[in-house]
Amino acid sequence: MKRYILIGAVLAAGCQGFLDKQPLTQVTTDNFYQTEAQALEALFAAYSTLQYDGQLSPSGHFRWFWGDIVSDDSEKGGSGPNDVASLARFENFEGLASSELVAAEWQAAYDGVYYANVVLENVPNIDMNPFLQAQILGEARFIRAYMYYNLVTMFGGVPLVEKVLAPSEDLLPRATEAEVWAFIESDLTTAIPSLMLRSQMQPEDVGRITKGSAQALLQRAYAWQEKWAQALEMGQAVIASNEYQLVANYGSIFTLAGENGPESVFEIQFMNRSNGDWGRFEEGNLSNVFQRARGEFGGYGFNIPTQDLVDEFEANDPRLGYTVFQVGETMGDRGVFSLDRTGYPYLYYSRKYFINRSEEAPTGDPNVNGPGNDRVIRFADVLLLTAEAAYETGNEVLARSLVNQVRERARNGVAGILPDVTATGADLLEAIYHERRVELAMEGHRFFDLVRTGRAGSVMRSKGFNFIDGTHEKFPVPLQEIQLSNGTLTQNPGY
Amino acid sequence: MFLLPPLARAQSVSVSGKVLSAEDESPLIGATVQIQGSNQGAFTDENGQFRLSVPALGTRLEVRYYGFLTTEVTVASEEALTILLEPSVSTVDEVVVVGYGTQKRSQITGAVSAITADEINENKVLRVEQALQGRAAGVQVSQNSGSPGSALTVRIRGIGTINNSDPLYLVDGVIVNGLDFLNPSDIASISVLKDAASTAIYGTQGANGVVLITTKSGKFVQKAEVSYGGYYGVQSPWKLLNLLNSEEYAILQNEARIAAGLPIRPEFANPASLGEGTDWQGAVFTDAPMMSHQLSINGGSERSTYALSGNYFAQEGIVGGEKSAFDRITLRFNNQNQLNDRISVGTRLNFTRLSRNQLPENNEFSTPMIRAINLDPTSPIQDDEGNYLPSRYLDTDIFNPVNQMANTFSVFSSDRVVASLVGEWKILDNLTFSTTYSADYTYAIVDDFAPSYFLSINDQRPINSVVKQHLEWKNWQWDNLLTYLPELGEKHDMSILLGTSARTETSSYTGAGRDNLRFNDPFYAYLDNGDINRTGQFSYGGVGENSLLSYFGRVNYDFVGKYQIGATMRVDGSSNFGVNNRYGYFPSVSAGWIVSEEAFLSSVEAINFLKVRASWGRNGNQRIPAFQYISLISTGTNGNGNGGSYSYHFGPGQEIVTGSAPSVRPNPDIQWETSTQFDIGIDVGLLNDKLYFTADYYVKTTEDMLVNIPALGHVGALNAFVNAGTVRNTGLELSGEFRQLEGAWTWSLGGNIAFLTNELTSLGNGGTPIPTGFLQQANGFVARTDIGNPIGSFYGFETDGIFQDAEEVANHAFQSAKTAPGDLRYVDQNGDDVINDLDRTYIGNPTPDFTYGMTGNLAYGGFDLSVFVQGVQGNDIYRGFTRLDFENVNVPVSRLNRWTGPGTSDTEPRVVVGDPNQNARVSDYFIEDGSFLRIKTVQLGYKLPTIVTQALRVKQVRAYVSGQNVFTFTQYSGLDPEIGTRGALEIGIDRGFYPQPRIWLGGIDITFQ
Repeated sequence: MKRYILIGAVLAAGCQGFLDKQPLTQVTTDNFYQTEAQALEALFAAYSTLQYDGQLSPSGHFRWFWGDIVSDDSEKGGSGPNDVASLARFENFEGLASSELVAAEWQAAYDGVYYANVVLENVPNIDMNPFLQAQILGEARFIRAYMYYNLVTMFGGVPLVEKVLAPSEDLLPRATEAEVWAFIESDLTTAIPSLMLRSQMQPEDVGRITKGSAQALLQRAYAWQEKWAQALEMGQAVIASNEYQLVANYGSIFTLAGENGPESVFEIQFMNRSNGDWGRFEEGNLSNVFQRARGEFGGYGFNIPTQDLVDEFEANDPRLGYTVFQVGETMGDRGVFSLDRTGYPYLYYSRKYFINRSEEAPTGDPNVNGPGNDRVIRFADVLLLTAEAAYETGNEVLARSLVNQVRERARNGVAGILPDVTATGADLLEAIYHERRVELAMEGHRFFDLVRTGRAGSVMRSKGFNFIDGTHEKFPVPLQEIQLSNGTLTQNPGY
Repeated sequence: MFLLPPLARAQSVSVSGKVLSAEDESPLIGATVQIQGSNQGAFTDENGQFRLSVPALGTRLEVRYYGFLTTEVTVASEEALTILLEPSVSTVDEVVVVGYGTQKRSQITGAVSAITADEINENKVLRVEQALQGRAAGVQVSQNSGSPGSALTVRIRGIGTINNSDPLYLVDGVIVNGLDFLNPSDIASISVLKDAASTAIYGTQGANGVVLITTKSGKFVQKAEVSYGGYYGVQSPWKLLNLLNSEEYAILQNEARIAAGLPIRPEFANPASLGEGTDWQGAVFTDAPMMSHQLSINGGSERSTYALSGNYFAQEGIVGGEKSAFDRITLRFNNQNQLNDRISVGTRLNFTRLSRNQLPENNEFSTPMIRAINLDPTSPIQDDEGNYLPSRYLDTDIFNPVNQMANTFSVFSSDRVVASLVGEWKILDNLTFSTTYSADYTYAIVDDFAPSYFLSINDQRPINSVVKQHLEWKNWQWDNLLTYLPELGEKHDMSILLGTSARTETSSYTGAGRDNLRFNDPFYAYLDNGDINRTGQFSYGGVGENSLLSYFGRVNYDFVGKYQIGATMRVDGSSNFGVNNRYGYFPSVSAGWIVSEEAFLSSVEAINFLKVRASWGRNGNQRIPAFQYISLISTGTNGNGNGGSYSYHFGPGQEIVTGSAPSVRPNPDIQWETSTQFDIGIDVGLLNDKLYFTADYYVKTTEDMLVNIPALGHVGALNAFVNAGTVRNTGLELSGEFRQLEGAWTWSLGGNIAFLTNELTSLGNGGTPIPTGFLQQANGFVARTDIGNPIGSFYGFETDGIFQDAEEVANHAFQSAKTAPGDLRYVDQNGDDVINDLDRTYIGNPTPDFTYGMTGNLAYGGFDLSVFVQGVQGNDIYRGFTRLDFENVNVPVSRLNRWTGPGTSDTEPRVVVGDPNQNARVSDYFIEDGSFLRIKTVQLGYKLPTIVTQALRVKQVRAYVSGQNVFTFTQYSGLDPEIGTRGALEIGIDRGFYPQPRIWLGGIDITFQ
């Protein structure tokens, strides 16, 4: 018996620390955020949330779901009505708060806010190059502002999360739309001085957020609030920086060679590295495969341009051919577009996200994610928004001149098409709106532009949609969020 | 009498022989050897020998001995007879393995089911878990797949948690993860501990029940006994779906297109000309062989025993044949050595090598089964030159499965050693110390070669690739036990057990992949043949570790053989818990009263045993993800197979930059899940134990269940698990057996049935229903787990027939703009005149009301017959094997009864391209009764008579034929009603399962002298 006790004692003594295990392949918050390299790692995690969120299914950040499909520019497409059925409901203004798609957009945006907040809380404590430190914080602020921009334009007022929340701080009410805009303005205003100019960047940094990115996003924030004087001023700042130029050939913008070109103000980077493997697609762009025709073209056939959009283009506008594939046209190295080869009756397909087979990751997956970047803010967009701001502040001359810059580029030297705009007054505003629609078609802007300019109801109803004013300008707050908050979060009217 | 030939009398013969125990061939002294039908006979002497004069050859002798089964023999010659008597073990005297020891059945105060080697052998089970199926009340075993070597789901007393509900398995006292390494023929007995009094001694590991497996060992003073057992069988699919042929397919396609205002396909203009078309099921399913060979040697001297065995088992699959084949070699050596009167040492050594070819299974996207069920019959498998062809109408997911199988090379293989050293020291006559050290080592390799091929633009793999994974599991365990039997006088019987256990599990993995291999051939599928200059190459590796330190004790006390109480206590420390909650305490108490020993019952002849017992106890479940209590930084580069999502890239060179961030908010207070169980039971033996009956009622509540209460979206981070949920299982288990083991015809009939109610009673504050079972064609979740309902209940729309005309559509709540006559009508649950997600409701329960099993055995002369029937009743299945999100899939012939006009059908909706009413949404249209009764096994055996075996100089020869899954009675329309789980919360959703085969096999067991 005594011996046994001895053995027991030896066993117990030998087990000091026996139950203390350490994670051997992961660091913990206790030993991280200490070096410059780790500051960058924290920032890159925030950058990664600009791409799709691999934790989410669907993954969020489908700006064209809302901007194009919900608008009069395109219809859903896919293999049939059951293919992403809840999007079909939004398209017909029958959308539900229980939709997994709004939940994903909400979550994807707030994931970005969280990772930006992690940077903003931890990087200031790191002993490092102060210029790089300020730049990192500025980029994080831009990412946070961009996520709130996505949120406020989709949902209106949302909870303002300004820091990493402890569990006891989770229950936040929705801030007002004005408060969210103010927060975006504040983040961008703070970020602008610390960000680099595009021309100051090393080649290996191309794709990083620049001063121009933040100024252009701030201009958009002003425009949404109809702060036209500030919007004009911010637009002119971008123009005056001489950092950006319209490229001569409109079509080249949407090629791989045209990525991060002279006209690129802010782009989300994607590359041809990943599989279409649904587990790890973050480096590749889902939009490429989603918007390509089905059948022999190996796509999923979403975002089908409408006749209404095609008709919006003026006669012989070269931009139509770079925006829409029509029957009989060649889809790059994938062959000639015919209904037989797609297997579906659609007459048009979206072109701006088209990627040649030879440009895809040669992983062998027929539905691989593409390498195409999301052109989030183009210089043409800044010019047109500045034109709008000029018009709204009474400077029609400037407005016409800016619109005509865009049209001149579209002409690309061809005579007899797209004459300069000479309209005045309300006609000029219509001309600016028209130019925005065709110049930025299928880039995820249309529905948001309609809402921003207060035309969504009249335009959508005139095209036969059951759009209800006061409801359908916004999308519903995800049902799950309202339930989880026990009603602290309130629903948008009409949902 | 006078007709009797006188010659017969004259031939009166003298017979001699000996009567031995069949168990150890020891002589039985004083056994009765009687001429049947007369009172003439003899007794055996001290050598078990007898001599007797019988009237003639052919006379039958009856041999009786107390404690043994009465046996008859025929006097066939004048040669000396050797008569072996089988011991008759009374059910109540059976010795049953319990936690850290054994107990007589009559003394057990908990709920324990025991399964013997005979029952396992009767079935020719392919995997150990099958031996539990239908044999033990309250143990539900479901086959997740009919694929050879695939794991089964075992649930003891229901689903105890939304997390890991697998029971704890121990083989000879050693905790093992998974039973695939074990050869069923090596098993001597299995005990299933069900109530908390039995399992509490396993503390944080026992909450889901405990399965104790004991392997065979040799016996002291036993001649070496060599035996061979082998069988060969053929497996075949017992059912194929009745799908449309080409003609019927074209008719429905045309109708669907016309209904949607589309022109029909020109090639379908004359459906009758299309004929039968391709039988895709026939192309995928095949008859498949299986076999087993086993050689074993058992024996022992006065000081030592040994048991050696070797087994080879091979099985091909009914889907793809060798493409889903399973092979296993097991070698076992058990021995024990008595060093002196007080000390013994022993070894148990098991080596297993297995390999399994894997096809994709159990999803609606990529399995050969889902493809065979959904492919259009009008597309051919291959052209005249044997080249596989793509489907003419399906371009996503539903690809040619024959080509797929030909291009699948995925093999899992492993080598595993489980070794234990056991030492036992009898310190005093009533005080024993034992120590067991065991090591369990597995090295596994996963080989994946994906060759390049081209069928069509959508079904091709332009670049081949290879992935190699090496996995290692290293576990050790050290148990120390002290058993004390205090002498308290004749009326008192007490045993005390004290013990400690320490255990560490380490798992590590390394993997790498390359593509663009030099050869498109599995024979050359090695990393070095891959292209080093491509981004397709990757590698990864890591390690995980956890440990458990435990102290435990047990006291059992029996007073005058009538009254019994027991108590256990276990203290567990686990590395999975933070320092705040590192140790857990798990007590139990139990009591039993053998009523039949009381005077007032002793006069009742019919009742020879009656016992009532009750128990209460606590257990834990420590199987939770590690490190939930600290904040981890996640790092990820894409494309490394880790699912990382923290990287980005910049610059024209698209240099990937790695990001890092804490993605989960930690929970420093995390601890085990606690399950508390109350059990009350009764054991009855009637008619001298011919009829034995057991009943148990229990209430098992799991509290502090780990739930992942989703964080509000705006938090941005995930929440760690918290201890918040509650699940309650209540059930009734009945089992009984009648045995008639005397006389020429011996037979037995046994059965068990278990009723179970499962309910989730809490998900913690803010806990929202957990949706599971996303089904692509429904574009939604089929099931949800929510408070007040069974785990994994089906949740969707309730149908109310079919719209017969436009007026009915107009008068009903709004469903969809293009809803038309012939579409399913859904019930407007909330009465708001619109059918939307708010109208979803609970539409089915995948958990059966009861499960049951029945066994019948019959023997006469050398023949024996056993039949085993097993079934479940009252569960629902979600029929999810038709990809209705594609217009061109094939469908079951039941769709020919579709609605085609008013009054034509109120159950089968119309066919229409585009499904504007979303008839494919989750609804009770897809729910079917999953009850089934299955004749699981039938076996007919024949033992050669002694006269033959003696001539052959062998001890025993038995040949048998056996059928498995012989017949299944079910209403379910799918391939197989026995559908298991996918993850913890998804039950009974049929995505085109790998069905179980029907097996016919024949075999022979030979025991040499």
